[in-house]
Amino acid sequence: MLKIIIPTIMLMPLTWLSKKNMIWINTTTYSLLISLISLSLLNQPNNNSLNFSLMFFSDPLSAPLLVLTTWLLPLMLMASQHHLSKEPLIRKKLYITMLAMLQTFLIMTFTATELISFYILFEATLVPTLIIITRWGKQTERLNAGLYFLFYTLVGSLPLLVALISIQNLTGSLNFLLIQYWNQALPDSWSNIFLWLACMMAFMVKMPLYGLHLWLPKAHVEAPIAGSMVLAAILLKLGGYGMLRITMMLNPQTNFMAYPFLMLSLWGMIMTSSICLRQTDLKSLIAYSSVSHMALVIVAVLIQTPWSYMGATALMIAHGLTSSMLFCLANSNYERTHSRTMILARGLQTLLPLMAAWWLLASLTNLALPPSINLIGELFVVMSSFSWSNITIILMGANITITALYSLYMLITTQRGKYTHHINSIKPSFTRENALMALHMTPLLLLSLNPKIILGFTY
Amino acid sequence: MNPLILTIILMTVFLGTMIVMASSHWLMIWIGFEMNLLAIIPILMKKYSPRAMEASTKYFLTQATASMLLMMAIIINLMHSGQWTITKVFNPTASIIMTLALAMKLGLTPFHFWVPEVTQGISLTSGLILLTWQKLAPMSILYQISPSINLNILLTMAVLSILVGGWGGLNQTQLRKIMAYSSIAHMGWMTAILVYNPTLTMLNMLIYIMMTLTMFMLFIHSSSTTTLSLSHTWNKAPLITTLILITLLSMGGLPPLSGFMPKWMIIQELTKNSSIILPTLMAIMALLNLYFYTRLTYSTSLTMFPSTNNMKMKWQFETKQITLLPPLIIASSLLLPLTPMLSILD
Repeated sequence: MLKIIIPTIMLMPLTWLSKKNMIWINTTTYSLLISLISLSLLNQPNNNSLNFSLMFFSDPLSAPLLVLTTWLLPLMLMASQHHLSKEPLIRKKLYITMLAMLQTFLIMTFTATELISFYILFEATLVPTLIIITRWGKQTERLNAGLYFLFYTLVGSLPLLVALISIQNLTGSLNFLLIQYWNQALPDSWSNIFLWLACMMAFMVKMPLYGLHLWLPKAHVEAPIAGSMVLAAILLKLGGYGMLRITMMLNPQTNFMAYPFLMLSLWGMIMTSSICLRQTDLKSLIAYSSVSHMALVIVAVLIQTPWSYMGATALMIAHGLTSSMLFCLANSNYERTHSRTMILARGLQTLLPLMAAWWLLASLTNLALPPSINLIGELFVVMSSFSWSNITIILMGANITITALYSLYMLITTQRGKYTHHINSIKPSFTRENALMALHMTPLLLLSLNPKIILGFTY
Repeated sequence: MNPLILTIILMTVFLGTMIVMASSHWLMIWIGFEMNLLAIIPILMKKYSPRAMEASTKYFLTQATASMLLMMAIIINLMHSGQWTITKVFNPTASIIMTLALAMKLGLTPFHFWVPEVTQGISLTSGLILLTWQKLAPMSILYQISPSINLNILLTMAVLSILVGGWGGLNQTQLRKIMAYSSIAHMGWMTAILVYNPTLTMLNMLIYIMMTLTMFMLFIHSSSTTTLSLSHTWNKAPLITTLILITLLSMGGLPPLSGFMPKWMIIQELTKNSSIILPTLMAIMALLNLYFYTRLTYSTSLTMFPSTNNMKMKWQFETKQITLLPPLIIASSLLLPLTPMLSILD
């Protein structure tokens, strides 16, 4: 794993030593090369995990997330070029350093074996993200957004630290590879109920669960484009990944402890999808749609069936790419009109037809059109939740309908109709932007040809 | 101050603490405390003003009371055990009075009221000595009597200190008061683990001293004592703002910075000793601390705080000397990967 980690750490000296006209080229190229290295991890031959050392391993669950993380860094760099173009050189280098640092921590988080190491790196991802949101965001609300983001996550995850240490006392080691085989049922007691809560709340806040989701619209809206992309695509999936790992140790309490969270998720996905229909702010719409998709993942993880795990993993990867692409599209609107209000940038199909094609593809994958992997994820989750309880089909069906409604609402409002009379001169789509969208869409479409690599370890 | 006099006084402060740390006779320890107290009063009053006089008086009164309480505990110990050697204090009365006396010296709740007011009244350099060097002597005595300390009293004081340190700092804009409340909270963390594993108290003390030294050096460099004047730093020396950001986040206990290491180790030791609710509560209360540190970073490093135009071309009359800043920065932010080395302390 060091073959990925050390080059990513080395991206930081690369930015500081590059010349002024080469920083974007150097960093984007080398981060693309690093993502090519990580692709080799997708080859998981047998049902076991690939163990590189005592500290890092890669599993059919963590490999696709790792590839997504490393794929996203060059995309983030490409997306940030425009809004950073007017800044002094040192600030550009600082921004790229923050992104590279965040990338390092994310890679180490997804491949950590020791759960305390996972925890430390999970928390460590907060610091660069806070700096990116607060330093480079554009509105005054970003200060509040940073505070909400930091404190919601920290209050959720400090009990997790205590819980992990007490589990280490009980079982002797927190190395993930060992725990898989030692696993015993947790005895039934009040303190184990609190242990369950302490372990899960950190990831519930990160996902986010419906009642604890207030930080997400603030943080996603106020962050600059790279911050929004990494938040939506990867940081939410940290919660899902953590939940998938830790529920293995928490049986049989999960059978009854999961009910409140299942109810909150099922209700929350309908609520947040419905709120999307009433949003005026484009980024806020995409943020709430993230909450809705992640609620599906929470339902899938808490049901704990093989099909639901496959659905959760596929949905995480698919949503990562789709949501990141939608944020890039929203950003291309923002850079032209300097406003996130949807109705101020209507009828763009007549002005920017190629971008309209990307909008169409992104919206179609967001509403889980067959045969995209979004559909595979959602379908597996719907089927497994139907087998868990027949009534959930009503809520799931309603959610799919409302998702389709708001995705098409977003598409039609921004693309169709007559363009506004105040868009006199907007710049045509840059090649960089088209490349960005293509690089998002291509993995998404190609994965629908071979989805088994993202279906996780229960395939 | 005349340099020779200043040297003599500083040496007396140093000698006082050394006598406390190296003695095995209780009377010598008391003498060391008194020597330290008497010599530090001129240091606190270096910049003469009525406010400094008030601060020195408050400091003298509380520390003298604490020394007298300590003397009473020593005499009770003498009465019951017949010897002056510093070992485990067998008599519970003497042990409790000694703990309270040392808590008063350190500034633990409920004896914390003097810390913000004294720190605010003195100059930044004196505040630095007050919050770092002066904590060494009482902590060394607590370390030596740790097997006999009443757990209930110490844990109550520790948890209340963390709470007061976090809550009290929320309404502050004066940097010295913020550092004072941070010192109260950190003392709380240090004394919470004293009974279970005194080595971690020393670790926490070491890292706390490094972080506080760094913070004070950065404040001295920009000669700022309020949040408002600290927010002008991006005009004068933008690199200092990055260093302030890193050190403040480290003081708040965020991974992957080294301020997380003592908190993590303390939580681990407490959990191994089967207290689960206590470290959870302590950790969540430490978030109050993190809140006002983050607010400080917002005005200093993470935003370009509004300032008048003439701040951007400010005359700098002399470059302040900041001693040892680069190693301190490294020590206060990058030590977390060295955590496995703690095994050498066994």
